[in-house]
Amino acid sequence: MATAGIDLGTQTVKVVVLRNGEVAGRAKVFSGFDPVKSAEEAMAIALKEAKLTREDLKHVTATGSGMDQAPLKDSTISMMGADAKAGVRLFPKAHTIIDIGAEEARAVKCDDKGIMIDFVVNERCAAGAGAFIEAMARALELKIEDMGPLSLKAERASTINASCVIFGESDVVTLIHRQESKPEIARAVFDAMADRVSSMVRRLGINPDVVLIGGVAKDVGFVASLKRKLGVDLSIPDNPEFAGAFGAAVVAAGRAKEA
Amino acid sequence: MKEPKNTQERKYVAELPQKELEDLRNSAKAVSDRVITENIERMKKTSANRPEAMKYFDDFATFALRETELKDAKAKGRKVIGYFCMFAPIELIIAADAIPVRVNSGWYDTSKIGDRIVPVEVCPVIRSTIGAKMIGLSPFLELSDALISVLTCDGMTKLSEVMSDYMPVIAMPLPRVKDSPHSLEFWREEITSVKKQIEELTGNKITTKKLRTAIELVQKATKAFRRLQDLRKGAPVIMGRDAMLVNQVFLWDDVARWTEKTEALCDELEQHVKEKKWVCPPDTPRVMVTGTPMFWPDNWKLPSLVEEASPRGVIVADELCSGERLLYDPVGVDEWTSDDMYRAMSERYLMASTCPCFTSKDGNEDRINWLLNKVKEWNVQGVIYYVVRGCMLYAMEYTRVKRVLDKLNIPTYYLDTEYTREDVGQMKTRVEAFLEMLSARVDI
Amino acid sequence: MALEYLGDTLRLMVLAGLGIAGVLAILIWLRNKTRKVTYLRFVVGAVSVAAIFYMFTFTQIWMLLVVAVILLMTIPLGRFFCGWLCPFGFYMDLISQLRKATRVRYRLLPVKFNGALNRLRYAILVFFLVLPFALGPIADFQYQFIYFLAGPFKPWSILLGPLEPLIVPWTSSVTLSGIYFSWPYLTPVSFYSGTDYTGIAELVTANIIIFVAITVVASFFIRRFWCRFCPTGSSLAIKFRGKSSAVLHLSKDEEKCTKCGICKRVCPQQVQEIYDQKGGKITTSMCILCLRCVEMCPYEDTLKVKLGGKAVFRSRNWLQPSQSE
Repeated sequence: MATAGIDLGTQTVKVVVLRNGEVAGRAKVFSGFDPVKSAEEAMAIALKEAKLTREDLKHVTATGSGMDQAPLKDSTISMMGADAKAGVRLFPKAHTIIDIGAEEARAVKCDDKGIMIDFVVNERCAAGAGAFIEAMARALELKIEDMGPLSLKAERASTINASCVIFGESDVVTLIHRQESKPEIARAVFDAMADRVSSMVRRLGINPDVVLIGGVAKDVGFVASLKRKLGVDLSIPDNPEFAGAFGAAVVAAGRAKEA
Repeated sequence: MKEPKNTQERKYVAELPQKELEDLRNSAKAVSDRVITENIERMKKTSANRPEAMKYFDDFATFALRETELKDAKAKGRKVIGYFCMFAPIELIIAADAIPVRVNSGWYDTSKIGDRIVPVEVCPVIRSTIGAKMIGLSPFLELSDALISVLTCDGMTKLSEVMSDYMPVIAMPLPRVKDSPHSLEFWREEITSVKKQIEELTGNKITTKKLRTAIELVQKATKAFRRLQDLRKGAPVIMGRDAMLVNQVFLWDDVARWTEKTEALCDELEQHVKEKKWVCPPDTPRVMVTGTPMFWPDNWKLPSLVEEASPRGVIVADELCSGERLLYDPVGVDEWTSDDMYRAMSERYLMASTCPCFTSKDGNEDRINWLLNKVKEWNVQGVIYYVVRGCMLYAMEYTRVKRVLDKLNIPTYYLDTEYTREDVGQMKTRVEAFLEMLSARVDI
Repeated sequence: MALEYLGDTLRLMVLAGLGIAGVLAILIWLRNKTRKVTYLRFVVGAVSVAAIFYMFTFTQIWMLLVVAVILLMTIPLGRFFCGWLCPFGFYMDLISQLRKATRVRYRLLPVKFNGALNRLRYAILVFFLVLPFALGPIADFQYQFIYFLAGPFKPWSILLGPLEPLIVPWTSSVTLSGIYFSWPYLTPVSFYSGTDYTGIAELVTANIIIFVAITVVASFFIRRFWCRFCPTGSSLAIKFRGKSSAVLHLSKDEEKCTKCGICKRVCPQQVQEIYDQKGGKITTSMCILCLRCVEMCPYEDTLKVKLGGKAVFRSRNWLQPSQSE
């Protein structure tokens, strides 16, 4: 049986096609001005990779901030629900799942059966999300993918006082003018972000295993900082940015069985 | 009682230029009318088997009908007394042959106008009320001859000052500790003092007989009110938003007529129960909302999200002073002597309240017990703890309520918001995730 | 002979009961939800007054038995006698009804004073139990037992005070065209101010008038005022005061209680525990189980009267006709 999940995020659309429980195809396209078109494009790419057609898909579930606009869908599931399903499927002992997206960070708590029992979302602020890294990379005049490895070189972090993206940027500029080293500034950026995320997760309670998904999970600098702040090991899947779409596809499989 | 000053002597509000005032009012009124119509349309659409008796409340949901009635009453010499808070003794107002009307603002747009006078950290209900008065949007505020403002929280204390720039304000201080022996005595004396001020304002004496009639009238309303809430205990026979609208219409409607119409609604609902005509599937997750008050029309934001989400929920109960707390407690008169009536009235308003503005040696235990009882008897599966940003009192009680509900294994979600439409998208995500959580539990 | 008396008593009890019940049935039919138990209590009280009147025509041995029964009743039933069967209580309730009809407001005693009175009555009881021994001929020790059971110095006669009927089948100090009148406690009052000691007949009359006036006026303004320090009540209360073992008692559901205060206000005895205690079995020596609090509590199943663990009467939303009726 084949199903698919569409994750219509603010920056990118991700599609995962699942066949008999295994990932058969995946695609990521920038949302741009026409997210619906981007979603259709992504679906086409993923289906091609899976060597399937839309009719082969028993059920398609959409998630993400734009899930209501997603085309080609049969149902929707909240991002928290998709995260929970993905986390538990990828790591059966998962009890806390942290998802850092471009503009929002959330954490979900699951019980032993993998059912979501509580969740927390960062409140109205992008300082715990991918947008923070982007802004800081801009200020440091670095490529986003270089920030992580660079920060690992630092022994200590500089001090960034502001926890706000806007004020943080001016903080970073000041630090550069003071000739502080870029690795140390980079590490400070990740520490500040990890701080925000960890205080959010603590409201939920840190129950191992702790899973980290979302695009930012690929950033080694952030992962190192978060491990330090939370004080636990993190389980990170391959292709963490597809975890949301993967979770939605798993939900679709469950719903297809019920129908 | 503070008398209004002329414009030069105003404490807070500078006069708006006439053209600007009219423009703002017209645009805000257009938005208000649109929101009201939309809300009612949505309520009609999402409720199967919606009771016919709701038509009366839909009609009175636009303020225009009642506005005309108040204008006619005023032309005949009756006074209109507005009040902000549930503590205001409406029996006294009715006994003085005046018309009570609650004047808290439920409009989002006017909060931005209120921002000109007070900072944004202030409770949005208060900012919105100030804004509404500045542009004359609320027909009830405009028609009020005086306001009763009970000083429950910091915001209300200062609001009464701002409002005194426009009209006489009767301020009633409230003891913050209910269970000390002098609290009740103090409150009784306040009620006696308010009685005199109302008599002065209206020119009518509040006799024992008139007060008895007023108390019995409100008792009848309480009976109808509780009958409606009791009908929400079982399978959903009325959508949460519909019941909430019925509760809200009480705030500005004529008490006797509201009672009659609500009894008719309850009769119809009992018939629906017999015929098993539910408004949504009986296994829909049952949600309770507790927290800061939600005033019509813009604050239907959250209830609409809950009842139209996928998966959808149904609001079966609430602990809101704009909702089920309004008329829950009757005035329990023992002997109908003047002394007993005033004693009973003061007790009903002070002692039974669950407002977090109170504390005692056990904290605001009354609210905890009320919530627990509600959760058990109305079969509530999840609680949304709703707070508008700026309310210290409700925000601070969250931790206690969450711990108590966690023991009962009832999920509680803290949802804070503002008088703005911008966060509907974000709210939707959270509400839907919460409802998903509840449905998953239901399936188990 | 005894059986005849018993038969007479029973017949009259039934007649009195039926008569009054008939009148009150009409009132109850008016469905005043917050007064039903109170009316029932009046019926039972009236029947009790009639029955006790006839008991006073027996020999004193019977009265000792009555006292014993009253005291023993407390163990399972608490101060049920005080609220439902006591004639003095009945007269005080009637006087309260008169006050209500004339629209006069009741007066409250300060809570601390009320509590002090409550404790004072144990002193009063002991005083009156000991007094006859002090005044009587102590030298005649061998007669003490007889004095205990018969003659004027019976210590336990103070316990019979509230039972004294208004029309007595013996000679009393107050007569009118051949009918002898009395009032609760007049036997001890006239005895202790009697001619044997003071030799002044006028003193007896004066004391009687003063006593009756005080009790009538006080119970006009203060509800059930004698019950707050009644010596008979205290003997009942002694049992009740500790961890109550009463089978009949009030109970409160902590969660349903909104602390509205109605129960405390309508209580004729000004019992604070009904409000102050959070929940569970209400233990207090002041409560006479008149059940006004349960009648007037407007929330379902919050206050209950329990007999042997089973609720026999519960608070109801009296705004609403209940389904169970």
